[in-house]
Amino acid sequence: MVAQAFFVGVFGLAAIGFGVAVFRTASMVRSALALLFSQAAVGCMFLAMQAEFLGVLQIMMMATEMSIMAIFMVMFMMDPGGLGGMDMSHQKRFSIGAGAIAATTAISVALFSDWGPIFAEAPDAAMQTRELGFEMLDRSMLIFETAAITILTAMIAATAVAIPVRQPGVDTGKLDKENGDKEQEASK
Amino acid sequence: MTVAIVLLTLLVGAWLLAVIEAWLTTGRLRPVAPLLAGLSHLGRESILARKPDRLFFETAPVLLLVVAVLGAAVLPLTPDLVIADLATGALFLNAVLAYVLVSLIMAGWGPNGAYAMIGGWRFLGQLIAYSMLIVMPITATAMRAESLLNSVIVESQAGLWNIVYQPLGFVLFFIAAMALAFRSPFDLPTAPGELAGGVDAEYTGVRLTVLRLARLVMLITLSAATTVFFLGGWQGPLLPPWAWSLIKTLAVAVSMLLVGYYLPRIREADLLGWCWKFGIPLALLNILIVGLLILVVP
Amino acid sequence: MTPVLILALLTGAILFGVGIYGALSQTNLVMIMMGVELILAGALVNLVAFWRFLHPEVYAGQMFVLVVMTVMAVEMAVGFGVAIARFRAKGSVEMEEAGDLQG
Repeated sequence: MVAQAFFVGVFGLAAIGFGVAVFRTASMVRSALALLFSQAAVGCMFLAMQAEFLGVLQIMMMATEMSIMAIFMVMFMMDPGGLGGMDMSHQKRFSIGAGAIAATTAISVALFSDWGPIFAEAPDAAMQTRELGFEMLDRSMLIFETAAITILTAMIAATAVAIPVRQPGVDTGKLDKENGDKEQEASK
Repeated sequence: MTVAIVLLTLLVGAWLLAVIEAWLTTGRLRPVAPLLAGLSHLGRESILARKPDRLFFETAPVLLLVVAVLGAAVLPLTPDLVIADLATGALFLNAVLAYVLVSLIMAGWGPNGAYAMIGGWRFLGQLIAYSMLIVMPITATAMRAESLLNSVIVESQAGLWNIVYQPLGFVLFFIAAMALAFRSPFDLPTAPGELAGGVDAEYTGVRLTVLRLARLVMLITLSAATTVFFLGGWQGPLLPPWAWSLIKTLAVAVSMLLVGYYLPRIREADLLGWCWKFGIPLALLNILIVGLLILVVP
Repeated sequence: MTPVLILALLTGAILFGVGIYGALSQTNLVMIMMGVELILAGALVNLVAFWRFLHPEVYAGQMFVLVVMTVMAVEMAVGFGVAIARFRAKGSVEMEEAGDLQG
């Protein structure tokens, strides 16, 4: 119990520390990787709370997600290296106030609620994985499939939004032109 | 004790592979050369680029080494010789291997050099190609074992190794593992002769030694993973379990080196295209076939 | 009392606050998405803590965590799609320059 509290606390502090670092560094790659380590620390908190499958899953998913975030930061920021020291924020006082109010509300709910009886023992990890599998493909199957369809929809939507609009008469590069010609031929 | 044995095995394996790699490329067998090269790197100047991201630059080689060792920690070499046989071992291996990408992005971004950065971001594209081909074949092996415990996955292959049961999965995993370890036909992030060393380009001295060691250890980890998931792990007649693990792992590693020696480097666009157009449908087909086999064959 | 549960909930609350600050204060679309990711991470911590300490026998709790992870991935994908489209059309994803979205 003491060890658990210690590890949850340490990884929690790490998650918060890296989370704050995301918005305090000027280098965009640092910012993205700080978010990655914040999320990985959250995954370690899951491990400390004996949710092994979820913890490992979180650590795995975030590595890829945040690395992709890093390249998008470099693509879309004016100063990705942060060597110019640009300030990339606005409405600072309002944001700090909103963040503080949100955090205080959540903290007071956490502190002043009656959480009822606490389970000291968690099911062991192999059992958890098995039960989660049954839950996923049994009672929660509809939810699981909805999540899958949501991801598919998001993939299609994101691709559709990101593909450049092909305007007639505008030469947008060789590849597009070739495709356009082929389409015209097909329509004939 | 177990930790010490595993670490020592990894070190000796890294030395052995370095010797074999040099033997393949130069045709001369010099067992002391890797040690001498490592020692001489320690004595050399560690050059630092102008305005580097110092934190990333220093962390990247160490992170790569830690990732490789952590991956080896969940692989059972014999029934007893495993540092942590986690209940989610197969997934944990995937999670750890995802951080190879993080390390290479750090190594690419850190030194503030063009070649290194191109190498680092190239590996991100490579990840999008290979990552599904790592995860899906492992899923199929876990389906057969009905467990994510790596030791159970090995034991499930007692009658028939997975390389015979799901050859498609083995081929895909083998290719993806080479791409993950950025060995020769897939060495896009380093690409000697084209990118001037890529992520390696700005590293010298001690840091380069750590980076090279980490690459070799990662090759061993991935060969051991191939052994555990597809070649029946420690199982085999006559010889003791550790000997079988060692022989199979080395055989996989050497075959990876050989394949890399004879094939030309692939283009990034081709890699992505082939992996997504052929690799992922084949991996899904593999899962389907294995599922049908499990349901039909008792 | 229940120190570990409270610790986890406090972490979740502070992550939530930091995320809100980030989502409101940053001018770049990608940075705003980072703030949203932090908010969701705070939610994840709370969900796992509730599952572990209040209802470890109900696996729908873990299922909920998986759904939130899906939401994170979907948010990333769609967000980047929008960012690419916006960058292609206007040459920047700065929110200060997005006044034309104001109805």
